[in-house]
Amino acid sequence: MSPNTTESIKSVFYNLFSLFIVVILWTIFSWWQNSPFFPSPGEIWKAFIGLLTHGDIEGISLGTHIFWSLVRIFAGFAAACILGIPLGLIMGLWPRLYNRTRAVIEPVRFIPPIAWIPMAIVLLVGFSRYAFLIWLGAFFPIFINTLLSVARVSPIHVNVAKVFGAPRWYIIRKIVIPSVMPDIATGMRVGLGIAWMCIVAAEMIGGEMIGIGRLILKYAELIRMGEIIVGMLVIGVIGFIMNEIFIVIERHIFRWRSEISID
Amino acid sequence: MEFVDVDIGKNYEKQEVLRDVKFKVEENEFLVVVGPTGCGKTTIGNILSGLEKPTSGHVRMRGEEIEPTVHNISYVFQEPSCIPWYTLIDDVMMGLVIKGEEHQKAVQRAHEVIKLVDLQGFEQYYPRQISGGMKQRVAIARAYATDPDLLIMDEPFGHLDAQTRYLMQIEIMRIWQQEKKTVVFITNNIEEAVYLASRIIVLSKLPASIKGEYIIDLPRPRELTDPEFLRIRAEITDQVEAID
Repeated sequence: MSPNTTESIKSVFYNLFSLFIVVILWTIFSWWQNSPFFPSPGEIWKAFIGLLTHGDIEGISLGTHIFWSLVRIFAGFAAACILGIPLGLIMGLWPRLYNRTRAVIEPVRFIPPIAWIPMAIVLLVGFSRYAFLIWLGAFFPIFINTLLSVARVSPIHVNVAKVFGAPRWYIIRKIVIPSVMPDIATGMRVGLGIAWMCIVAAEMIGGEMIGIGRLILKYAELIRMGEIIVGMLVIGVIGFIMNEIFIVIERHIFRWRSEISID
Repeated sequence: MEFVDVDIGKNYEKQEVLRDVKFKVEENEFLVVVGPTGCGKTTIGNILSGLEKPTSGHVRMRGEEIEPTVHNISYVFQEPSCIPWYTLIDDVMMGLVIKGEEHQKAVQRAHEVIKLVDLQGFEQYYPRQISGGMKQRVAIARAYATDPDLLIMDEPFGHLDAQTRYLMQIEIMRIWQQEKKTVVFITNNIEEAVYLASRIIVLSKLPASIKGEYIIDLPRPRELTDPEFLRIRAEITDQVEAID
């Protein structure tokens, strides 16, 4: 067995072990607290099964909640990619464009999506509210990562093409874009994570009673901690899975970066 | 009319880097430009290749101002310059693709030069997977592939260990004798210069100007311990190190 496989088996084992420790600590703590506001892992499991099989108080199943939240996330995220990547590339290639507009762009970056909620309620309706808030979360990591990455393109690689008399378009397509792709992917991964974290805020104002964020809010009104924690864990686990999938895809696409060497 | 006619001066802000650097390059000669470190040698390479413009003067090829989109120039850079996302063969084909060569012919020519630098079997490798010496051979193959009228090499072996460097010098001589090109080779290593050159020009310290010129007509392959070799080497070393 190669040392790499041994290491990955070990890492899976230790991850499971850490999870196990947390569950034990949680059990002890809930037992010691003995309060309905701190349900035991068993009670959380029961709430999870209940939501899965019977649905929530309105009979909407957990799967449906998750599905709709994902649809909203991907809509906002796609919009963020479609706008963020080309804009980042353009402003990276023509830094003056960014330098002359940064007083407009930069402050917007620091306004948290939650602060946009009143504006979104007043100006937007329905699905666009969700998409807008999620877009806000995902856009800046994607845009900024792309923008900064263009500035870091190695001049030597550009010069290799230039000496052969390459036109600007060739340099952009064959040198600049491949060179910034890994950073764009990182921006997308971070953006997707933040978008997912905005789901509760977005579903607070979306109006519809479906969505994993909405599920948490419903049970918050009833102060049913079991279901609330299920909602939280679902968000956490799905975020984790999306991130892992993204990393695997990144590794596959950017094979040329992998560390193998025959030196 | 001269093949390449160089007469340049270059300033960066207030720093004068090149002062009246004037020389000619004959067709198919192996011209080595030698000078102390930090004397603006790379600037000469960049200006010869058309990447940088001189502050004054000109670089002309067959009477025409040098221009990468017009002239067929290749440049082997001092720094490792393999494109990380290109496989070795794609990297070598780059210049041919840019110059609009037909795909089939480009592949064929790439295989030829890959063979020339002795890298057969590594066509599908990425730069990450090969050694420093191999990467520099890729850069040389890429430069040769386009069959350039002018091939500029700026300390191409500067980053290599002594052993690899020595082997590369033998290799570059073998390649040059196999496919004659007009080469301008820049280095601070005098032994390397005498080993390779058909003619050497010596630069002064900053701001660089031409201090001397040597025609080297020793038979090839040259012997590093040959008395005549050592004599020329000592003479040039004296000139490079002399205080102006």
